[in-house]
Amino acid sequence: MTTIHTLHIVNKRPDHPAFGACLSSITDQDGLLLTESGVLALADREAVLKGTIYALAPDLQARAITVDGLDVQTIDFDTMVALTTEATRVICW
Amino acid sequence: METLVIISHAPYCDWTGRESLDMAFSLAAFDQPVTLLFTGEGVNWLRKAQQADAVQQKSVEKNLSAAPIFGVSALMADHKACERYGLNKENMMPGVTVTALSADLIERYAHVVNLS
Amino acid sequence: MSPQTLCSFTLVITGAPYSSQAPQTALAFARAALANGHRIDRVFLYGDGVHLASALTSPPSDEVNWSQAWQDFLGSHDIAGFACIASALRRGIVDQSEQQRYELPANNLATPFTIAGLGEWVDSVAHSDRVIYFHNGG
Repeated sequence: MTTIHTLHIVNKRPDHPAFGACLSSITDQDGLLLTESGVLALADREAVLKGTIYALAPDLQARAITVDGLDVQTIDFDTMVALTTEATRVICW
Repeated sequence: METLVIISHAPYCDWTGRESLDMAFSLAAFDQPVTLLFTGEGVNWLRKAQQADAVQQKSVEKNLSAAPIFGVSALMADHKACERYGLNKENMMPGVTVTALSADLIERYAHVVNLS
Repeated sequence: MSPQTLCSFTLVITGAPYSSQAPQTALAFARAALANGHRIDRVFLYGDGVHLASALTSPPSDEVNWSQAWQDFLGSHDIAGFACIASALRRGIVDQSEQQRYELPANNLATPFTIAGLGEWVDSVAHSDRVIYFHNGG
């Protein structure tokens, strides 16, 4: 697993202001974990994401969103917990 | 290890901003370092001369101006949001540092809270 | 921190059940944290999250009762669950002593939740390795 600096957890739809605030604060060394409505960003053709991108599997499955061909790691809750312990800081947007 | 409390919700339409302020003041009351950052529509909390009693709510202007006395390290506002909502030196309450929400800013804080 | 490092967590839930996915995402996270050997210092309900502590939550029988699921989880793992007093009283989540103090007709705080001030959260910020927030996805 790649080591990440700040882990940004986003559970908002892509056009929510918090999603924009997150993208203003993220660097290539950071992780972007999409959960809940956040995974809709992977179906949004207008979304431009940054950092190492992770998406929570149950939220993808529930919404029938596939990540084939995208640079995204699909993770479970065990990996989500691991990411939160490894990152220097965690921000829940 | 300082905490950054981000206020990104507009005033009066819900209690999120108020409850974020309560968090910041609680940290300060327990001598934990804390800075407040207003972003997005949250910068509208900073406009001078709000008459919250018109909607039967309490103004937070007094609380905010007393923030340094209560031990809040700094009040900051995102410059893009200030520009968007027409906030400037003339119409913004005093004591607010205009800055940019960025990775560099976040880097200064061990803990970041954004109620949303 | 190395992947093997064991952490202490505080989970702060600010999204209400049935208005948000927050309580269920938080519960799955909490179960995974314990399964991987980490500790949960406390669960703190804030803002609309206090609705999770209502003993009167009664969803249709074919839906998960997230309030009950959280009560069971906290009880079986002996984890402290707090509802912020200011958030709770505003939203009508009341324990027996607050009922008496404000002379209210009923109380509805589910066991094992207790009412507490923001000091519990401040303690988490100061002492838990990680404070993770579960907000309304809006």
